[in-house]
Amino acid sequence: MATMTTEVLVIGSGAGGAVTAARLAEAGRQVTVVEEGPWVDPDRHEPFSLDEMVAKYRHRGLQGALGSPAIAYAEGRCVGGSTEINSGLYHRLPDYLAEDWRTAYDIEDFGAEPLARYAAQVEEELGVSRLPTAPPPSSAALERGATKLGWRNVEFARVFRYDEAGRGTKQTMSRTMVPRAVAAGADVIPDCRVLRLDRKAGRVTGARCERTHPDGGRELLHIAADHVVVCAGAIHTPALLQRSGIRRNIGNGLKMHPTVKIAARFTHPVDHGDVPMHRVTEFDPYLTIGGSASRRGHIAMALAEASPDIVEPMESWENISVYYAAIRSHGAGRVRAIPGLRAPLVTYKLTEADMSRLAQGLVHLGEVLLAAGAVELYPSVVGGPVARDLDDLGRWWDRTTRANTNLMTVHLFSTVRMGNDRSRTGADSYGRVWDHDNLYVNDGSLLPGASGVNPQAAIMAIATRNCEHFLATI
Amino acid sequence: MNPTNPTAVVTGASGWLGQNLVRHLATERERVRCLVPDTDAAAPLELISPVIETVVGDVRDPATVDRLFADVGAASVFHVAAVIHPRRSTREFFDVNVGGTQMVLDRARRAGSSRVVHVSSNSPFGANPTPADRFTEDSPYNPYMGYGQSKREAELMVKQANDRGDVPTTIVRAPWFYGPYQPSRQSQFFTAIRKGRFPLVGDGQQQRSMVYTDNLVRGLLCAERTEAAAGKAYWVADAQPYTLADILSTVRDALAAEGFDVADRRPPRIPRAASVLAEKVDAALQSRGRYVQAVHVFGEMKDTIACDVSRARAELGYEPAVSLFEGMRASIRWCRDHGERI
Repeated sequence: MATMTTEVLVIGSGAGGAVTAARLAEAGRQVTVVEEGPWVDPDRHEPFSLDEMVAKYRHRGLQGALGSPAIAYAEGRCVGGSTEINSGLYHRLPDYLAEDWRTAYDIEDFGAEPLARYAAQVEEELGVSRLPTAPPPSSAALERGATKLGWRNVEFARVFRYDEAGRGTKQTMSRTMVPRAVAAGADVIPDCRVLRLDRKAGRVTGARCERTHPDGGRELLHIAADHVVVCAGAIHTPALLQRSGIRRNIGNGLKMHPTVKIAARFTHPVDHGDVPMHRVTEFDPYLTIGGSASRRGHIAMALAEASPDIVEPMESWENISVYYAAIRSHGAGRVRAIPGLRAPLVTYKLTEADMSRLAQGLVHLGEVLLAAGAVELYPSVVGGPVARDLDDLGRWWDRTTRANTNLMTVHLFSTVRMGNDRSRTGADSYGRVWDHDNLYVNDGSLLPGASGVNPQAAIMAIATRNCEHFLATI
Repeated sequence: MNPTNPTAVVTGASGWLGQNLVRHLATERERVRCLVPDTDAAAPLELISPVIETVVGDVRDPATVDRLFADVGAASVFHVAAVIHPRRSTREFFDVNVGGTQMVLDRARRAGSSRVVHVSSNSPFGANPTPADRFTEDSPYNPYMGYGQSKREAELMVKQANDRGDVPTTIVRAPWFYGPYQPSRQSQFFTAIRKGRFPLVGDGQQQRSMVYTDNLVRGLLCAERTEAAAGKAYWVADAQPYTLADILSTVRDALAAEGFDVADRRPPRIPRAASVLAEKVDAALQSRGRYVQAVHVFGEMKDTIACDVSRARAELGYEPAVSLFEGMRASIRWCRDHGERI
């Protein structure tokens, strides 16, 4: 077995891990980052393409949380994590949530004001901006429909930088924080999966990893570390901790944004290279309406969720774009590592209120798309009738059942909640895992609830805050 | 006090409270647009007065609610429709009480409604922590089961619609009501008391606020017309809460006064623990989406659910004119006159 030694071992290189690595390396700490997925040149794959899904997604994007109904979820599995594959939409954590979480979980030095400070720092560093030009047709449709109905809507900022010609580049971790960490001396080891952590008397001594070489050969690698920061996301962080024997308040209380979709056909071609940046915020904080990636493959998948007969609508796929409604869910789920299996068992239980809210979201999404001029709506509900006018939408309420509804999510949280209330948290107010001196979590697992908006901004701000605390105390 | 709005929109118009409200509005408005769930419910309302117009459909359905608000302009809206005892699953609470309320708020905003009066409940507040406690407008939310959760969410949306400038709204929180146009479950209640079979849970000293439907209609109209009530919520009930033992004996007196034979026996006593158990069973059923009305009602019998109406009196000029005895007599007469067996 190969061995190496480092001061700080960061497991995972997404929004949490890359920020952690850059902050600590730039403060002079010796940092090693291990990433289960490959290191992919961010310019190599067409964004949102099938190639990209194969290269950067865990299980090629096909994973599910079991329950009634099951919920498909997607995670990045590459250097940069989900920041490489998401839409780059950037939204600070709503102030009221920061305050709610601070009181509900007794989180020290947390709240709207301190988080705003860290968010401002991240925005300055990454570049967060709105479009310099008119929005693409798929996004303009949402704005047009919402404006017609008098619904609040907003163009979200994105972690994008634009060149003089107006061409935008998403500021993924592999373009920003990972190179910064490397420049400050951090080692990044891709294709390296952590099997378990070694522990001794309330301390973690290192990690046992399995490294895959370009020729496909595998070797075991032991990395001894003074400090270990787990940033593997809300599914794999708790799974790794459980595999390492750490179970108290780990992997329970999984939160997400369950999402329904509609493939909407317009009378004109829509763009397919980008994700709409407009959002309908009329129904905040209960549900959000926006646009999804709409490559040809996404459109085929979305159509198939309404009906297996997709040949005819696919003939006009260039006129179709996919939109979604995501809810704040009352339900919760669990992550359980299963001995012998690489992937943990993920379950999620939706409440009756959740199912109702999803139906409501589908109906409102239908309203805004019809107002935008869509002529045919294919909901992600099996046999959900294709809607052509407002009279059809009401029928979706009773069709949106547990048996018929196809759900997905890209936002996962809360499996190692942070706070001083030990009875309900897996880590302290700064992400140190309870009963361990030198083991930390610093990713979306720490958020005690669903963020209601794209969580990348919140994860990066909280990761920055926790690194500052680490550097000040250790 | 605003002048009387000539146009009113009423959801849930064919329900128990809806019928009382619509009959009152028909005497003083030029146009009363009513949402009813089916054509059978529409005809009897249209017979009341030519000012009544009905729209048949589902409050969750955008096309239906569009028709409800078509060409009514700056109407007063009384959002009365809600599910209290779902027929199939607890999902209906959320579909109708939350989803339907959102739909009504959205169309009221677009139509430029002058006021939405939203009928709420005691259920977002649970039970009083002590027998002497009274719910006020400052009491914290503590929703009771699925219905309470759905009505709480509806209240939050109604308040938000006002506060962000969509449409002026006022919430009226009504407890258990009684009065004419009642569903048949209410005549079963009278029958059980007449025969001395209606049980008393515990010592019968737990208190209940109740509201006579006509008192409640007056409260809704006060809420509609009081300019300063926008963005606020009010408890509207009879002047004082009653003990359950009082309610039973008053109904017995009212039945006797209306000429019914009332069995001369003490009501059966059921230990409080049985009601506590029923609440647990209800919670377990509801967590699986199931609802059994008898279990739900029995589980609530042990508690004091009492409110203080002084703010409605002071700010809305609300006066509960009808007492429990008179109101129960009117209610019993209505049952008898409409062929209900008591």
